[in-house]
Amino acid sequence: MKKILFILVCAFLSVNLYSQTMPNVQVEDMTGKQVNTASLVGDKPVILSFWGITCKPCLIELNALNECMEEWKEEVDFDIIAVSIDDARFVSRARSMAKGHDWQFTCLFDKNQDLKRALNVSFTPHTFILDSKGKVVYSHTGYVPGSEEELFEKLKELK
Amino acid sequence: MKKKNLALLSMLGVAATLSAQNNEKGTLTGSLESNNIYYVEDNKLSGSTTANPDDHFGSNSYLKLDYMKGKFSAGLQLEAFLPALQGYDYALYGGGKRTMLGAKYVQWEDEDFGFRAGDIYEQFGTGLIFRSYEDRALGFNNSLEGVHGRFSYKNYLTVKAMYGRPRLYLDYAESSVRGGNLNVSLSDITGWSSAVLNLEGSYVNRYENLMDTPDFMDRLSTNSLDMYSVGANWNWNGIDARMEYVTKSKDLTVATAKEMVSGKAIFAELGYSGSGFSALASYRKLSNMNTMLTLKGQGSGNVLNYIPALTRQYTYMLANLNPYQVSPDGENGGQGDIYYTYRPSSNRSNYWKMHANVSMYYSDSKHTGESRLLWRDVNFDVEHRWNKSLKTIALVSVQEWSPTHGTNDVTYASNIFVLDNTYKFNRKTSLRVELQYLYSTDYEKDWMAGLVELSFAPKWSVSVSDMYNHGKTKIHYYNASVSYSANRTRIQLGYGRNRAGYVCSGGVCRYTPAYTGANLTVTSSF
Repeated sequence: MKKILFILVCAFLSVNLYSQTMPNVQVEDMTGKQVNTASLVGDKPVILSFWGITCKPCLIELNALNECMEEWKEEVDFDIIAVSIDDARFVSRARSMAKGHDWQFTCLFDKNQDLKRALNVSFTPHTFILDSKGKVVYSHTGYVPGSEEELFEKLKELK
Repeated sequence: MKKKNLALLSMLGVAATLSAQNNEKGTLTGSLESNNIYYVEDNKLSGSTTANPDDHFGSNSYLKLDYMKGKFSAGLQLEAFLPALQGYDYALYGGGKRTMLGAKYVQWEDEDFGFRAGDIYEQFGTGLIFRSYEDRALGFNNSLEGVHGRFSYKNYLTVKAMYGRPRLYLDYAESSVRGGNLNVSLSDITGWSSAVLNLEGSYVNRYENLMDTPDFMDRLSTNSLDMYSVGANWNWNGIDARMEYVTKSKDLTVATAKEMVSGKAIFAELGYSGSGFSALASYRKLSNMNTMLTLKGQGSGNVLNYIPALTRQYTYMLANLNPYQVSPDGENGGQGDIYYTYRPSSNRSNYWKMHANVSMYYSDSKHTGESRLLWRDVNFDVEHRWNKSLKTIALVSVQEWSPTHGTNDVTYASNIFVLDNTYKFNRKTSLRVELQYLYSTDYEKDWMAGLVELSFAPKWSVSVSDMYNHGKTKIHYYNASVSYSANRTRIQLGYGRNRAGYVCSGGVCRYTPAYTGANLTVTSSF
C-alpha cells in the first residue's frame, strides 16, 4: 500500500508536463448570467485564481493581487479572473465579498464546481497562468504573502 | 498488489504520452490527493471520543484523470481508503481497507446540448431538493451513477434531465433517483438587457421498493418520494434578489422515524452591492427537509439534498469551536452581512475593510414544544493595512447556542476575541501571529489560543499553534506543521493533538474524534 503511494507520488512529481488548456464549461458572471469559459481566454495572458469564502489564504492572495494589479499593468498586459467555487447557497455571499473587497478584476462563480473539476483543482487557493492562446503555462497551490511576485515574474516571461 | 502497481504505472505511461502529444490527440490532465495520519497513544485524551486504531494508520487517497479532446471528455477517479481516516463515515460504514473506482464518466459538451454518462454532479436551484457533489474534507460523495442530458435554446431556456442510482459511501444505494430542471431567462426573451431575470422549476423523484419488506411494511405507504421546487432570481443595478419554494411528499426523514411526514422549505435572499460596499440578507425556513438517499442507510453521507448551516464560517480556531448544526426537521431564521472597504485617496494601499454579520435561528414549536433560540452570532471584524509591511485584523464574535437543539431553555454563550497580525520583513519573508481568547461562563469555560506562522514565499511555510482550555479541562491542543509547495505540488507534514468536534466545509459538518498524531498531506495536479 505504501509502495503504491510512493510510486504514485514519484510518478506524478516526474510527469510535470503542462498540457492543460482552458476547458469549456458554463459558469456564472457577477450578475448571474451564464458564461462559457472558453470565451474568456485567447486575447492576452490571464491569471486564473480559484477561491472560496471560507478560504483565508485565497482572500489574502486576491486582495494582494488587487493591490499589485495597477502597478504590474504598467509593465505587462494581462487579465485577472477570480473563480469562486462556492456552491449555490453561498454564491450570493461570494458576490457580496467580491464587491465589498472592491476587487477590480473579473469574478466568476463556479456553483457546480464544473470548472474546478475540469482543471483538476483539489485545494484552494489554486492559481494558474494561461498564455494568450489559453494554454496553462504555470500553476501553483497554496498562498503565502509574497507568492504573488512569482506570478509577476511569469507574466514578464510571457511578454 | 503487483498487478495494481503495473496498471497504475501503465496508466501514467499513457498519460505522459498523451500529454506530450497534446492537441492532436487531446489532453490528459489529472490530480492526486493523499491524506495520511499516523495515530499515537496519548494519555491526556481518553474516553470514547478518542481515536487510536490498532494499526495506528489511516489514509484517504484520490487519483483523478481526465481526458479531453474538443467537445468530448472522459475521466475516472480511483480512491483508496487504507483504511479510511478516523471520523470519516467511510470508516464507519464503508468497512475495512478498500481501493475502488470511485467515479467514471464520458461526456459531450456542445453549445446548445450536453450529455454525460457515468457519475454525475448536479444541483437544482439552491440544492434544497437535490445536490450531488463530492467534498473530500467531509469524506462526502453522493454522486449519481447514471445519465444526464442538457438542452439549451439560445439564452432563453435550459432543460436538464437525469436518472441514476446514488453513491452511498463506498457503494451504491438501492434506490433510484430521477429529476428534471427548467430554467427560463425572461430578461433574454424580452430583451431586457440591463437586468437578469430567471425563473427556475425542478422536480426530483426517489424510488425504493421497500413497502413490502418487514421493516417498512407498517410505516411506508408508498415507494416514491416526490420533491418540487420553484424559484426566481433578479439582478438589476446592483440589487440581487432570489427566492425558492420547495414542497416534499410524505417521507421517512430519518431511518428510525415511525411515520411519514411531508416537508417544505422557503429560502429568500436580498442583496445590494456597489463599489466597495455590499449588504446581503437571507431568510430560510425548513420543515421536515432531511431527505435520505436510501431509507436503509445511515450517517451524514446518506443525504440527497443540501441543507447547510447559513451562518458565518470562521477560519479562527476558537471562533469555530462550537459551530452551528442545522436542524432540518424544523428551523427558522436568517443572517445579514455588510462589507465595506475604505481607501483614503491620498494613500490607497492603507485601506480599512470592515465586515459585520448577524445570524439567528429558532426551532419549530411542532418539534420542540415552543420555538426556542438555537443559535445566535453577532460578529464584527476590521482589517487595516498600516503600511507596506504591517497588516492587522481584529475580530469580535458573540455566540449563543442551545446544546440540546431547542428541547429546553438552556443556552451557552461564548465571547471570542481575535487579533491577527501579518508582518512582511521583505518581499518574500513574512510572519503571521494570531492571538485568540474565548470568554465563557458555560460548558468548558475559558480558552486561549495562539498561532505563529513564518512563510518564505512562494515555497515554504512553518507554523506552530496551541489552543488551551484553562477554564476546565486544562488540556493543550498543540500543532506544528511545515508545508512546501512547488508548481503543482503541495506537501504538508504536521504533528499535533486534535480536539473532538465538528469539522465543517461549505456549511456541512462532520463529527471528528479527538486524536494525537502525525499527518502527511500531498496534493498534486498535472
